[in-house]
Amino acid sequence: MNAPTEALVAPRPERLRLVGQRRQILSMMHQRLMLGMLVYAGVVAFIALRIIYLAAFGDHAGGRPGVTALVPDRGDIVDRDGEPLARTIDAWSIGLHPDKVIGDKLQLAHKLAQLMPEHSEADYFNMLRSGKNFFYLRRRAAPELVEAVNSIGEPGISLDREPERLYPQTDLAAHVIGFTNIDGHGASGAELAFDKQLSDPATRGTPVQLSISMTVQQALEHELLDAMNHFSALGAAGVVMDVHTGEILAMTSLPAMNPNAPGKVTPDQMFNRATLGVYELGSTFKPFTLAMAMDAGTVSGAGQMYNCPDALPAYGHLIHDTHPFGRMCSVAEIMMESSNIGMAQIADQVGTERQKAFLKKMGFLDKVEVELPERGRPLTPTTWGPFETMTVGFGQGIAVAPLQLAMGYATLFDGGIYHRPTILKVGPDHPLSKGRRVFTADTSYRMRSLLRLVVMKGTGKNANAPGYRVGGKTGTAQKVINGRYSQTVNITSFAGVFPMDDPRYVVVVMLDAPHATPETYGFTTAGWNVAPVVSKTISRIAPMLGVTPDMHREPDMSEVLPYVREE
Amino acid sequence: MSVRSFHSVFMASAVAGAALGCYLVSLRVASERAALEDVEAQIVHTQSDIRLLQTEVGTRARLTQLERWNLRALSLSAPTASQILGDKFQLARLVRPDPKLEVEAPVIMASAPAPQPQQPLAQDDDPDTAPVAQLLHEASYEAPAKAAQETPAPSRQPKANQPKATIAASVAGPRPNPPKQLVTKMASTAKKAGDKLVAMTSSAVTKPARAARIDPLAPLPADHSTGRALRTNR
Repeated sequence: MNAPTEALVAPRPERLRLVGQRRQILSMMHQRLMLGMLVYAGVVAFIALRIIYLAAFGDHAGGRPGVTALVPDRGDIVDRDGEPLARTIDAWSIGLHPDKVIGDKLQLAHKLAQLMPEHSEADYFNMLRSGKNFFYLRRRAAPELVEAVNSIGEPGISLDREPERLYPQTDLAAHVIGFTNIDGHGASGAELAFDKQLSDPATRGTPVQLSISMTVQQALEHELLDAMNHFSALGAAGVVMDVHTGEILAMTSLPAMNPNAPGKVTPDQMFNRATLGVYELGSTFKPFTLAMAMDAGTVSGAGQMYNCPDALPAYGHLIHDTHPFGRMCSVAEIMMESSNIGMAQIADQVGTERQKAFLKKMGFLDKVEVELPERGRPLTPTTWGPFETMTVGFGQGIAVAPLQLAMGYATLFDGGIYHRPTILKVGPDHPLSKGRRVFTADTSYRMRSLLRLVVMKGTGKNANAPGYRVGGKTGTAQKVINGRYSQTVNITSFAGVFPMDDPRYVVVVMLDAPHATPETYGFTTAGWNVAPVVSKTISRIAPMLGVTPDMHREPDMSEVLPYVREE
Repeated sequence: MSVRSFHSVFMASAVAGAALGCYLVSLRVASERAALEDVEAQIVHTQSDIRLLQTEVGTRARLTQLERWNLRALSLSAPTASQILGDKFQLARLVRPDPKLEVEAPVIMASAPAPQPQQPLAQDDDPDTAPVAQLLHEASYEAPAKAAQETPAPSRQPKANQPKATIAASVAGPRPNPPKQLVTKMASTAKKAGDKLVAMTSSAVTKPARAARIDPLAPLPADHSTGRALRTNR
């Protein structure tokens, strides 16, 4: 009731009210217009700036990014001289889309069987009728075949280019290089070891340079294959190594495999006998035992005498020699004629613990230290007593990979310093690994004339390559078949070093179960079958490696020759 | 008045012109860059082609293949140690001149320009030249002294090969004391054939038959020397 009535409040004049409203509306409209204009100007300015930026820094419409350098789909692998060992190329593949075929299927099957006879006409016809989407008819097809298939003119056949891993040297160094699987990733060898580097876009432009020398590899493979066929051996392995750097210049395992067709490789071919296979390598171990004895001080020099009867009873066993002396003999003679009896006594003097310690330092008790994924674990005696020390001393009861043996010789003749073996070229990108001392430099020096003596007058005469001062040691070990030593089947090996007056390269070759031939007079020992391989290989590779032949240079033979009795 | 009123128009057109100029420069730069990229792409393409061809050549001429060809056809082998030389002195030793002494040829050549003797020497052992053989026979025929004195020229008409054998006989054995008659005979023949006496005496004391039979210092007739030289050269 107390609320004021309308009649009591004086109303505002109508004119004044209108003016106020109009001003308000006008100012609001100005504000909105200004806002709209600013937004519009901003958009225009942004577009203009973007255009200017693109004109100044942008790419044009036809620009192809990333074509400034050739980067392959997977990095190359090259040898130490830069020759390609593995490359990725664009290869032709021939595919079949059965659902897109429009012509006469029977006729098409007939033509395909003519061009690609790996399948019969019926097979091709079944493929065409199968109703499936796609078949690969041929991968890595030759251009002539692609042209012929193309001329059939069938839209259901597709010809595509796809990256393919090609190994131009086919089976050369195949076990070192390895191969790739169907996805293009490494499946074995260096392809697997360096897979990350080879497939990473940032690093694959630079090839992986191996320490392998193609020419040395070819010489080794050829000579070894020749010997393997000649002596009907089951397999063979060979290593050429730089004494000073541990670089592997050549490494092969036979029978060979073709990495271009990994599907057809048998397990026997794929098996890397040089790194994965471990073998009792016999007398090639003797120089290590002698070096241990010299370092330990139990052998003072090549003139030290031992009793060498026809058979030596030791710890309940009897040790025999192939060429028994039956008299006192010097250390030089023990090495020269590879006497087990003499070496067993030397090993016994060294003792089990010292022998183990030396073998450990040489890396003979662990897997071989190399980049390859295929590495075998050495086999050592389960109970390592005094008798086992003797047998290990002359190379029985311990099985190592041929690469390890090469590594051991490299250690012995690099002044006694161990460098881990490598398949990468030593250079600015891959510096020399840090070495560790195993033997003294004096021992290393004194072993030169002893091993030269073996080749000049002893069991390794057939390994001599005139002018190249080859030294080395033969090794014939009985093969273990079904857990027993075979009396007829051998594993023969030879470890050679040249030039012996300044050792630079080690050559290790091994033949698995060679047979006797008329020219070996029925023998299957290393001096008859693998030693000539070393001679031939060194004669071929030494000039390539820059070793000058010299008929007038020899290591200091006056240290050993006085202790050899001329028979 | 009118110019001042168009001032803003001029300014606007000047700015527009400058902007257009800048845009044209930018356009030019962009087109150059595009061309450069085209060239780069072309280079990469060519590199890829080269790589492909290199791979093909490398695959076709792979070492295993070369080795096979070598075994079948070429039969090349690595050099042996004796074929590799260490330094230039060893190389020089290979071309060392042959130390064999050749007496005949230089002596004959030296004697060629010598003055011709009055008569050719009876030194030729060639059976084809009869007159020389006759003279030779006359000069050195070893006959009994008596017979030689009785017949001063007994070998005027002997058989062609007869004197040769006689000469050989006369020269072969050393004769420490030649008969007096023979010496005088030789002294008489020396008038006809230069230094024949010297030759005979030297032949008597010198053992080797060849050196004694042919006097290396004696001049020979021109036709004989050329004939000998030709034979030597053959």
